[in-house]
Formats: sequence, C-alpha cells, structure tokens
Amino acid sequence: MSNLNDTVINALGRLKEAALPEWQALKEKTVILVGAATCGRAAGALPVMQTIKDELARQSIDAPVVEVGCMGSCYAEPIVVVLKPGQPGLVYGYVTEGIASRLVLDYVAGDDPCVEFALAALETHEMIPTFADYPRGQIEQKVVLEHCGFIDPENINHYLAAGGYAGLAHALTLPPEELIQEIKASGLRGRGGAGFSTGMKWETCRKQAEQTRYVICNADEGDPGAFMDRNILESNPHLVLEGLCIAACAVGAQKGYFYVRAEYPLAVDRLKKAVAQARDAGLLGSGILDSSFSFDVEIFQGSGAFVCGEETALLASLEGEPGLPRHRPPFPAVAGLWGKPTVINNVKTLSYVPYIMKKGARWFRETGTPDNPGTAIFALAGKVVSTGLAEVPMSTTLRDVIFEVGSGVAEGKNFKAVQIGGPSGGCLPESVLDTAINFDSLNKAGAIMGSGGMVILDEDDCMVEIARFFLDFTQKESCGKCTFCRLGTKHMLDILERITKGKGRPEDLELLTELAEDIKAGSLCNLGKTAPNPILSTLRYFRDEYEAHIHEKRCPALMCKDLIAFYILPEKCERSCDVCVGSCPVEAIYPNEDRIKVIKQDKCVKCNSCLVACPPQYKAIVKLSPPEMVAEKEKVAK
Amino acid sequence: MSEMVRLTIDGKPIESPAGEKILWAALQNDIYIPHLCALSGEESPFAACRLCFVEIEGYPRPVTACTETVAEGMAVRTRSEKLDRLVRTGFEMIMSNHRIECKTCPANRRCALQKIAKERKWPLKPKRLPALERDLPVDESAPGIIYDPNKCVLCGLCVRVCRRKGLGDLGFAHRGFNRMITTFGDSPLGAGGCLNCGACADACPVGALAARGVWGQA
Amino acid sequence: MELTEEEKSKAIAVSRKILAGCERTKGNLIPILQRIQGELGYVPLPAMREVAGYMGLPPVDVYSVVTFYNQFRLNPPGKRQVKVCLGTACHMKGGQIIMESWERRLNIRAGETTADREYSLERVACVGCCTLAPVVLMDEEVHPRFTPTKVDGMLFAHGLTKNGEKEGEGA
Repeated sequence: MSNLNDTVINALGRLKEAALPEWQALKEKTVILVGAATCGRAAGALPVMQTIKDELARQSIDAPVVEVGCMGSCYAEPIVVVLKPGQPGLVYGYVTEGIASRLVLDYVAGDDPCVEFALAALETHEMIPTFADYPRGQIEQKVVLEHCGFIDPENINHYLAAGGYAGLAHALTLPPEELIQEIKASGLRGRGGAGFSTGMKWETCRKQAEQTRYVICNADEGDPGAFMDRNILESNPHLVLEGLCIAACAVGAQKGYFYVRAEYPLAVDRLKKAVAQARDAGLLGSGILDSSFSFDVEIFQGSGAFVCGEETALLASLEGEPGLPRHRPPFPAVAGLWGKPTVINNVKTLSYVPYIMKKGARWFRETGTPDNPGTAIFALAGKVVSTGLAEVPMSTTLRDVIFEVGSGVAEGKNFKAVQIGGPSGGCLPESVLDTAINFDSLNKAGAIMGSGGMVILDEDDCMVEIARFFLDFTQKESCGKCTFCRLGTKHMLDILERITKGKGRPEDLELLTELAEDIKAGSLCNLGKTAPNPILSTLRYFRDEYEAHIHEKRCPALMCKDLIAFYILPEKCERSCDVCVGSCPVEAIYPNEDRIKVIKQDKCVKCNSCLVACPPQYKAIVKLSPPEMVAEKEKVAK
Repeated sequence: MSEMVRLTIDGKPIESPAGEKILWAALQNDIYIPHLCALSGEESPFAACRLCFVEIEGYPRPVTACTETVAEGMAVRTRSEKLDRLVRTGFEMIMSNHRIECKTCPANRRCALQKIAKERKWPLKPKRLPALERDLPVDESAPGIIYDPNKCVLCGLCVRVCRRKGLGDLGFAHRGFNRMITTFGDSPLGAGGCLNCGACADACPVGALAARGVWGQA
Repeated sequence: MELTEEEKSKAIAVSRKILAGCERTKGNLIPILQRIQGELGYVPLPAMREVAGYMGLPPVDVYSVVTFYNQFRLNPPGKRQVKVCLGTACHMKGGQIIMESWERRLNIRAGETTADREYSLERVACVGCCTLAPVVLMDEEVHPRFTPTKVDGMLFAHGLTKNGEKEGEGA
C-alpha cells in the first residue's frame, strides 16, 4: 500500500514540479488578469483585454495578460487584476477601454495605483481596502470559488501549481470504502438542490453487484437566474474534473460524462480543453498518476430541455431518447445509465470533493451547521445592487446575503421578496428574511434551496405575475409524459393568466390550491412535483395581491399589462417637449389643442418607452391601475 | 414457476405470484383499480397516467400500483378520502383534455374512461376544470383505422404494440401539452408504412384509434 | 416551410457525410443530430430519415427526439439568429417587452423566420448572464442591458454590413 502511495504522490509531485516554473515566472513580472467568462465577455471584457495588450505593446512593457474566469463580482465587470511583484494585488472594476489604458500607463508603467478605479486590494494596502474590509467580505468564505478569476482556466499548470489534483492523489491511495467514509463523514449534501447525502449515494453505487459503473457530472443548470455552475466550469474546470475523478475512484467507475447544457458554449469549450490537458498529463485515461485506476470522460451537450436536469431524464437523453423521466425506484445509483449503477452529482457538489480530500471531513464541518455543513454558492440576480455569485457558510441568513453581501435593493427601491430555488422554489417576503439558508429551514419556510439561484424582487414586481412566469416556464418545459404535470400545469397557468388579465374569479384561489396539492402528490418527477411551489408560496405570503387582481382588477405593483394604463399628467407635461411622442413605437401619443401630450389608450402597447423617455425634471408619465382610473383622472382634470 | 405471496387488498386476502405488480394482482382478483397505461409483463412500467394510486400500510405516501411489487403480508388500500381526491383530479384532468362524444364514439361502452367513471361513480364531464381542446385533425387516411388524437389519453399502448409487431410506425413526438401519438413527420397513417393490422386499435383503451367498420364507423 | 430540391439533397449529403464511420450506438443519436444541425443549421425530415436508416431505428423515434428538444430546428434558420432571453432576471427587467419589440420590427412571432430568411427569432430560457439582464443574443454574441430602442440600431448596423458598407455606424 505504501508503494502505491509513493508512486501516486511522486507522479503528482513530478507534474507539480513541471508546472511550478511557469507559475513562479509569473510572480517575477507584473501580471494582468482579465475576467472573461461569459458574463465578463458580455460586459465588454475582450475589447478591454485587447486595449491592455495594445497599450503594453506601445509602452514596450513585458507583462503577461492572462484571461481568467470570474471571481463572482459580476456586478462590477469587466474586472481587471494587476499583480505587481512585491505589491498587494489590486482588483479594478467597471473597467472600460479608457480606464484600461490608464491602468497600464499609470500603474503598470508607473506607481499610481489608480485608487479611484479600484474595487479592492487582495492583501493589506495603505490606500485601498481589502475584500475582507467590506461587509460582503466578512460574510463570504470562498472555497469552491477560491481560484475562480485568479488562474487561467485553460492552463492546467496553474491549477497544478495552486495545489490541484492533490485531492485525487490522496483519493487514489485510499481503499474506496475509506474514501466514501470520508465523504460521508463530511456531511456533504447534494448541491443540485435535493440535498441528498453525497456519501450515501456513492456508497449505494459501490455496493451494487454490477461491476460496470458510471459517474456523471450534471451541468444542465436549467434554473433561469442561476449561473453558478456555468461560472465554475468557465473559471476552474479542472476542479470539477478532479471531483468527478475522485467520485469515479470511490464507486469504481471506468467511464464518466459531463452533461452540459447547450446554452453554455464557453463552458463546453473550456471543459474540452481541460479534459485534453488532463489526458496529456496522465490525470485521465489508463493508469492515472501511475496507479492501476483507469477512468476517462466524455462531454455530452444537452439539447435544450430543462427537464434534463432531472436525473432520469438526463439518463434518457444520454441514451439517445427524449428526456422523459422514469419511475424511481430503481434509483440511478442502483440502475442508471444503460441500467448500470450510476452516480449523478451536480457541478458544485463535485467541486467540494477535492477540498474535502485534501483538508479532511472535519475541516469541512467547521463551516455551516451539523446538518448542513460547508458553504453554499448563490447567484444573486434581479433587483439587487451587487449581482453575481456569493459563497457563504451554510445557515447564513437571507438578510445577510441580500443586504450585506448583495448590498441591498438597487435604485433605492423597497425589498419585496426573494425568489429562491428557481421554478421549483418559492418567494419569501421580508418577514422571513432572518431564516438561515439551508436545506431544511428553507423547506419549512415554503421554498427550496434549489441549485442556488436567488432573484431579488422589489416593489415594482407583481407576485402573481412571477407565479405566472414560473408556471409558463414549467409548462413549456414539461415533458408531457404524465397526466398531472402535462395537464395540471396547463390548468394552473390558464387560471393565472386569467387573473393577470383581470378575468380572475373568486373561486380561482381555492381551485389553484387544490390543483397545486394534487399535482405535487400525483406527478411522476420532481419537475411536476415542484411546479406548484411558486404558486403555493406566493399564495401563502402575498395573497392580498391575488385578491386585488381578482376583486379589484388592480395590480398593486403596476406590472400586469392588462390591468395598467399609462397616463400623462397634464399638470406636469412640459408642452414644448416632444420626447415621448418620438419614443412611442406605435405612435400612440399626440398633442391635444393645449399641446399637452395624450396617450391613445387603445393604441398603447404598454412598452414603457415613454415613461423612460420623459425627462426626469418633468416625470409626467405615470402608470395607473386599474385602467379605469384614467377616465377618473380625466374627469378631474376637466 | 414462482412462489405465491399473500397480501390483503381492501381487507380481502389474496394470493399472487412473487414479483407481480399490485395492479395486476388486484385486477386478477376482481378488485378494480383505475388504470390506462399499464401493459402486463412490462419490465419497467410506463407509469404515465397516474391513476392507479394505492395506499400501502407503512408507506408515507400513495404509490402507483403498476410500479409496486407485491410483498408478503402487505396491506393495500385502493380507496380512501385522500386517494379518491387524488385520482379524481387526475381523471378530471384527462377528461378535460378528452373530446367527449360517447354516443358516436367507436369505443362507446367498452371505453376505459367510462369504466373508471362507472366504478368510482364520477361524472364524465369535469366539474371544476374547463375543457382544454386540442383541435387536432382526425386522420381517416388509412383504409383500416381511424385516428382521433383529440380522444387520445397518451397511454402509449398503441406505440408499444405497433413496435412489438416490428413496425414502429407509431411513436410519441413533440413535448409537453403538445405531446401526441403520431408518425414520422406527423404524416397521415395512410401515407406511411401502416399495415392496417388493427393492433393499435385493439390496444387503445379509448376511442382514439379504432378499426374501421367494426363498430359501425364509416 | 417547404424545402427546395437543393435543400433536400444538401441535407442528405451532409447527413451521410457525418454518419460515415459513426458508431451505431443509440447514445450517439443526439450528438449526431447536433452535428447535422451544426452544419446545416437545422434538421429536416430527409436528414432524419438518413440517420434513422443508418442507426437502424424507426424514423418516428428520430422525429421524437428532434421534436422534443428546444435546440433542434426543423426549418431553416434565418441568416441571423436573434434569441431573446426570457429567464427570471431578464423577464423582470422587461424581457417580454423586448421580445415584443423584435416581433413588431421583424413582423414575425417568436419561433419563426422572416420571409426573406434574413432573421429568425427565438426565445431562450436562460443563458446564465443574469447580472446583465435583459439579454439578447445575436448569433451567439451576448448583448447586455438591452432596451427596445436598441432593436432598430442593431438592424441598421446589420443592414449596413449586408450591403457591403462599413460596419460600426449606429449600434
């Protein structure tokens, strides 16, 4: 056994040694990192990177520019990190091409750290606070996101130099049962949303008599509003690959798959490169790290079906079929891909595994709570200031995540609800914000942990409309196999559409609740079983909004198109201004004989353009609900 | 061949071969459980219609009788307030999506939906739910078969028997609410390889697929 | 959309080329269809028939897979593909209004292609750029913080490149 230990550790040692010089060389020069994951690119990171390269060339400065992933601060993208030897690294945000030039000229070439553009320093700096100095930094604890945004995801040497694959080396020296015990002892629970014990899943698979086994990484992150998995795959694909290899080691799988959704082309690309590099380095294929363990992976792209995030539908898809879920039991760990024992784990779950291998189960348990150990990664989106990813200890409160890490609601609006868990989750109001975020407490509050997507809603968001939106989504994504989901979600959606159009009836709420409960009990898979959750949670906490829609034909948030009307306040309209007229795509605004602008209600398509266009000093355009109020206002105006 | 297992269903003691699913055990002993999509002897039950729910003592939730295997000493219940409510909702949903024209339907009086309604004393027309019309064209192109997709309950029995005959002309296509039984390219039955053997019509528990002439249709 | 004879033969030729040498395992079906769509831009019935024949599958099974997944198109896409993200964050920031603006300007509904085959319009569930909502994809390029007023600008800019003039005005 110690022979195997030595062989494997030596093999890794050799790889690391070969990788270090490149890493050390970087430390001796100024290095500039540019965050260019999909979100960074969309924010304009590539032109910024080109500007930096051009300016460096113009100044004849030899400073490597490395394209990295995303550290999670998406709200401030494009992000550039400048690492000068002997100086604390500096992180710059909202970098435009102009700022990028300045950074090169003033800080790289000179000594001015451009404090005005800095987000934070990576270590103590005399002028710039570190991330830890901000409220956000005091709560966040980066484990999985540790290297995201700081290493080149397309260079295995960076990962190796940073300590990568040490977890796999350790795993290879353990008997599989011990490996599984360690994962069980850590208490790691599936981060795909169900929160099932990862160790137990692996153990079930290992115990099967059938010798052909598979491990699959579920990267079909379908929840709208969730992008944690995308980020990890684009910023540190080797971390996930290492986790999958360790899983294979534990359950005795010879083949593994990455199931990545079609909508993530950059993630697929980075994974392909990572897999190729791992093969070249002997970290994948036959005799990994000179051991007797052989394992290889294939990357399979999804074809656009949210339901394929459900395990059995995912398996059907791999088997060349439409993504129809299958009855469980048997569970995939017993009979999965092609009927063989299969472990399916989420990207985030697998990302913790190398760390647990390296640092131990006890270390993992130091964060979070006994039943919910470790950290959790959330994608903050919607009406929050600091959109992006946040990795916090399990059982941090919702309030802390939204207001401390997320810096509160954007544009000074009032918080209304946080939608958590995607289309399978629920909306939680201000009154339950002190709920700790973990699998169990969220279930009690009427939501689910889900994959980690958190969308913050403010006073301008209609809760009935949000429920309708999610039902619309689930309805479109329903596979159609089972009665309750195929027909039940359609009935629920039809009712919600009537309500948002002002055609709700008093008995609708009771019918919605009854249908919701039966659909939860009767559906074949979790898509159907959780589809009613947005309705049940909004009915629980925001019933008054439903009632306003039904009884008063009024939308309190002024969002539902059929229940609102745009109106120009005559007393505020600056008659000589014509901005609104030009902004209207359907020419519904015209001046009356006093040159006050009027909106023709029957032509208006409620696109909001005029409201946005009206200059702030006039603010003459308002939304009214119910639409009848326009007639009332006009009467008063006369 | 196999040993017999003893269990009770609704208090009635019965015997069933080991490995049998509760649904068949019940039906073979004259205990009716609503069902549409189950095919006897299938390795993995389709479990799509969601009507055959039963309660088993010791189980936290109702389970489908077609997927659950009999066990020695099992106590199964096919009726209870909870079960009836659940199954009735499922039935209502199917009926809301089914074109009800019993009088002229080729499956009149041998229809599985009529049987469910009769056994459970439920009306055929849903009370709470509006009709979800599909408005799909009736396919009369095949000389031996008429296919009315507006009556289809998506049980898939026709697909399975067509495949057993080696043809595989029929299959499921599209997704969600638009899921339907169809042929390659949604072309009419008469245009493709259909042999007019009528196996699909025999298997269809409702009036969606019917053999021409047998029940006086055209 | 009826296919021309030329389109039909092209579909068959491309499919045969891709199928040649592929393993006939069912697990390969979706990757093969993805490759066909990658080259043709869509997966028409003639292509499906080739695949079914090669793989030894009933054609209706291939049809079943193609019609199940969002990604597969049965009709040719436009030269430029506009995809409007309608995920949660984008929806809340007015995604539906943007979709309607595109529908109005292109005079087609989501899921359709313009008569001159220049543009096709689709909804996409979520591309994971939620911090930049609302998002529109033009040929896989992500355009963040989109507004209805940008629609005209984009069409104008693309119109310029189509006519061979210098790009860059407008967008």
